[in-house]
Amino acid sequence: MSGQVLVFQLLNGIGIGMIYFLLSVGLSMIFGLMRFVNFAHGALYLVAAYTAYVVSVLTGSMLWALLFGPLVAAALAVVAERLLLRHTYAMAHEAQILITFAVALIVQESVILLFDPLAKNVPVPDFLGGIVFLGPFVYPAYRLAVVAVSALVALLLWVALERTRFGAILRAGSESAEMVGLLGINVQRVFLAAFALGGALAGLAGALAAPLRGVEPFMGLEALGIAFVVVVVGGIGSFTGALLGGLLIGVVQSVMSSLWPEGARLMIYGAMALVLLVRPTGLMGRA
Amino acid sequence: MLQRRTLFGAGAGLLAAPSLARAQGDQIQIAGVYSLSGTFANVGDLLNKGTQWAFEHYGTGAGKRINYTLLDDQGDPGRAVRRVQEAMGQGVKHIVGCTLSSIALPVAKEVHARGGVYIHMAGADEATGSECNRASFRWPGASYTAVNATLRPFIERNPNAKRWYTITGQYVFGDSLLSNLKTVLQETGRQHVGNSYHALSEREYSGYITAAIAAQPDVLAVCNFGNQTLDVVRQAVSFGMKRNVKIVVPWSTGLDQFQAWGPDICEGVYFGANYWHGVDAPGNRVLQEVVRAKTNAQTNYLQACGWAVAQMMVEGLNKAGTADVPAVIGALEGLSYQGPTGTEVIRAGDHQVIKDYYLMLGKARSAMRDPADFAEVLAGTKAFQTPEQAGCRMS
Repeated sequence: MSGQVLVFQLLNGIGIGMIYFLLSVGLSMIFGLMRFVNFAHGALYLVAAYTAYVVSVLTGSMLWALLFGPLVAAALAVVAERLLLRHTYAMAHEAQILITFAVALIVQESVILLFDPLAKNVPVPDFLGGIVFLGPFVYPAYRLAVVAVSALVALLLWVALERTRFGAILRAGSESAEMVGLLGINVQRVFLAAFALGGALAGLAGALAAPLRGVEPFMGLEALGIAFVVVVVGGIGSFTGALLGGLLIGVVQSVMSSLWPEGARLMIYGAMALVLLVRPTGLMGRA
Repeated sequence: MLQRRTLFGAGAGLLAAPSLARAQGDQIQIAGVYSLSGTFANVGDLLNKGTQWAFEHYGTGAGKRINYTLLDDQGDPGRAVRRVQEAMGQGVKHIVGCTLSSIALPVAKEVHARGGVYIHMAGADEATGSECNRASFRWPGASYTAVNATLRPFIERNPNAKRWYTITGQYVFGDSLLSNLKTVLQETGRQHVGNSYHALSEREYSGYITAAIAAQPDVLAVCNFGNQTLDVVRQAVSFGMKRNVKIVVPWSTGLDQFQAWGPDICEGVYFGANYWHGVDAPGNRVLQEVVRAKTNAQTNYLQACGWAVAQMMVEGLNKAGTADVPAVIGALEGLSYQGPTGTEVIRAGDHQVIKDYYLMLGKARSAMRDPADFAEVLAGTKAFQTPEQAGCRMS
């Protein structure tokens, strides 16, 4: 593999990795805060991607889709948390997995009923439809925009988590939700906010990914698998871990598609196993 | 001793048993094997609808009313075989369906062993080659047909396209397309400059496409089918490959994939397809009419495929004049009928339907006459191995 190809594979990997980060950070946050295993997280990604499809068909504008996708995903997360999931917090993880997996399947089958099982196209916004020339290679302008938007969202999220009172409460909650409650903070509301934020981020990932890979009803469960890998690699509950994990998995996947194409997907799990061997709690996780 | 509860249970079971066992006399039971859940559920529903609509349309076969039953294989070969065993245990002898070779091949063996007749739409060359049998028939062209009917006319039109790169799904069908493609390239003096295999679970292809761009090919060929083909082409186009590379998809499902891509991606891309709604043929007009009445839309490949296997079964039953399996098999061998692609003939030597396979070129949005007019048919070719070349020894 030449140096130039390697550089482009790294760029590809960063692009994929930033979407993996957006997809996974909410899942990591929710588990870190509530020790809640949310198998319905991929469904939020799915719903946002289909919202992006519908909005782009109705308005012809992907920008509106980027707004509505996260909003609808956040709203669904809030409704699910209020009506169902909060009643499961005290249950065993096995029960949470079963219940949230059922939610994911219900959402998936509802999408098939509302649309059909076939894939749909979500066009790239016209002004980002071109390519950028970088020496002998080209790179899609939309992918560069995805990297830029994801980086901006990561920065804003870091500020929100590290420099605001809300962020301090979330971080404290992930250490000891009981103690936060004893300090007079409405923990239920904090949980709800975490769900809404996690949903919005998964939704943003879904809306951003829709023009890259189209939409189809089974994309939620696929995304869920990657999200769990990223969370495990990065360390449960860690913002920085989700970012590093997403980037690592994206870069491994991309570089391996040149070095060992048939094993590129396998090496995602290889990287996870390696990280767990060296750091059993993940890159940024704490014992 | 037989307990009262056991007796009651057995009686209840008999009452609740599906109508399979009870349908006799003036009815004929036909079962369809499709995946309505699992990885390939996105295609199973449409295939099943095509079959269902055909049986509704024809109503009878050999003078008997057709009773159609769906067997959901859930994308699992083991489950498919079990469902077929159960159905045949209840007297079903006529079976259609299944697009996945990994399922169709064991089902074909099972139906053959149990004295039934089976018409399917699987893509592996082996189905009418080394694994052919007396009981099994196939409607679509297989990977040999797809590659030869797509690449040879493409090469005639693009003599300067010398350097080829392939992106291939790593499984039986992808490999089968790739090996046929390599043979065609060798025979026509083209250079195969590289191949990237990818896993069946892969959804992100930017790395493979960067590797393809680095090889500086004239042509990128995608050896796969389904949603992965959608993603590879979409991402190749987004990387600007259409500027100086021709993209060829030897196996596409036509309209449903074109709708999933949209005209901006389809434009200038070459596709191979087993069916196209725009073909003017008597059999296709009937199919189009039925599908339009059901869906108010044009027919796609999956619906056509489901329809075609059901139509073949009805044509065979009618020609035989009886539901008796050996008579139906005999009637199907050599049968010529008006199918979805024109006059179609079932070859007796390997039970492959000899029909056109199309090379198509995606149109610009401005050239589309209606919302489904995504592509122009450049060639329709009947490219099939002889039964001997395919290695079919009919058992």
